[in-house]
Amino acid sequence: MKCEWLRENIVLYVYGELPDDARHELEQHVARCADCAAELKAEQDFHILLVQDRAADPTPNLLAASRMRLQEALETAQQGGFFSRLAFDPVNWLRQVRFSPALASAILILGFAGGIGTMYKIRPTDQGTAAPIQKASQAPDVSIAGINSITQEPGTNQISIKYNTLATQEVQGSLNDQRIQQLLLYAARNNYNSGVRVDSVDLLAQKTNDLQVRDALIYALQNDTNPGVRLKSLTALGTYVKDDANVRDAILRALVNDTNSGVRIEALRLLEPVEADASVRGVLMTLAAKDQSQYIRSQARTMMAQLPEID
Amino acid sequence: MPADAWAVALAIGELSHSRESDRAQRLSRNQHPARDPMAAQERRIDDTMLIREAQRGNRAAFEELVRHYDHAVLRLALHLTGSEHDAQDVYQDAFLKAYKNIGNFRFECSFYTWIYRIVTNLCLDHLRKKNVRKEDSTVTKDADGGEFDLLDQLADKRAGANPERDLMRRQLGARIAVALQKLTPRERMVFELKHYHGLKLRTVGEILHTTEETAKNTLFRATQKLRGSLADMK
Repeated sequence: MKCEWLRENIVLYVYGELPDDARHELEQHVARCADCAAELKAEQDFHILLVQDRAADPTPNLLAASRMRLQEALETAQQGGFFSRLAFDPVNWLRQVRFSPALASAILILGFAGGIGTMYKIRPTDQGTAAPIQKASQAPDVSIAGINSITQEPGTNQISIKYNTLATQEVQGSLNDQRIQQLLLYAARNNYNSGVRVDSVDLLAQKTNDLQVRDALIYALQNDTNPGVRLKSLTALGTYVKDDANVRDAILRALVNDTNSGVRIEALRLLEPVEADASVRGVLMTLAAKDQSQYIRSQARTMMAQLPEID
Repeated sequence: MPADAWAVALAIGELSHSRESDRAQRLSRNQHPARDPMAAQERRIDDTMLIREAQRGNRAAFEELVRHYDHAVLRLALHLTGSEHDAQDVYQDAFLKAYKNIGNFRFECSFYTWIYRIVTNLCLDHLRKKNVRKEDSTVTKDADGGEFDLLDQLADKRAGANPERDLMRRQLGARIAVALQKLTPRERMVFELKHYHGLKLRTVGEILHTTEETAKNTLFRATQKLRGSLADMK
């Protein structure tokens, strides 16, 4: 936990927008860092000041008058029909685009880029079953990712359905291949299958000299829901506990916060080369006195006993 | 066409009368959906039926739908514009736009998000057009177009109010209003939706067609600017 991270996220903490694990880490850091504690107090005091200013409720008269005015307007207003949705209003479009050059650019780019949507027109046959009569494109192993829209032209049997498809692909290469590395990094963070995440972390463990890989392993150690993935990440990171402060902090956090005792015990073991470090020493003192696990308390005391006295 | 749509072949007036007492107990005007999951679920079902009816041209259904959201919409517009007249204009434009375009609503998001998008876009347009005459001005306009000083507003109608505390609160409100004018329109909008209306930043991102991360960064910038502007206040 770095002070800079704290200062960037302190507002989110005050507004209750931090995830539980980040909130816990922030509170742990503030307990140890006087500067950040002062910053948190200042932000909380400011928030208390702002909270005293509330947005006034509209008066009943204002609400009633607004409703009456709207009711009158609705009597003459017309809803857009089907064809009005297709009508292009250049004046309105220009007014919006004038203030949204980025939006206009994005629309042009999307319009010219290849999309992944496919549209089918289905016309019912005499037997009442639908048969495809036109296909824009179809991949052999295509599966449907989601339906975007379903519309029926009024007065006809023509139905248009827009849907997105998923296409499975395969790539082969060595661990030095950039594409392979990118996919492994993606798999370690995003895949729903824990077995795939374990496999990716296993392979990434061979490339921990790469900072991007180390970041991905730290992320997996701190966030993965599967203890097996976290343990593999921890073991892979252990080599860098002396050289990389981010790794040491991540392992410390795992020792303090992880819900799995196996991960915590391994974290404790990996911290032995840096047990003399001030932050590690501080955590060991707390664990020796208060940890719920008897084994962790005992190991922490043993490690503390081996440390030289501080003058 | 889904089965629930066929089941709504009832006069919306009869429907609203028969359920009015139940609705009044559970769905108050000021209730935020996030605070009561059961009420939120019931409201979502109500809204779906009303939206489908409104899409078929049932104006009474649309008016019922408006009543579910118009208090929150008006409160947002009122606080952002600082003027009852401008707030009424925003309210009118928002719901008229919703009425004209309800046929395009595809249930890809909640109606809550959809209507808030319309309102925030109108409010952002208003903020961009608005000129502040003096940098520290506390003067704004009322419903009749006349000018008044924010320091004179927010009169405390409670019996036995503390005049000194009341004055301090009005002064604070005026200072904060001036500080808010120094934010960009988007910063102001994110801060408004988060601080004054209690929306989650994820919802704010959906409303403003951006990511939660961007909303977080915008909130950070807005509060930093406000702290700078109000540094002398304690």
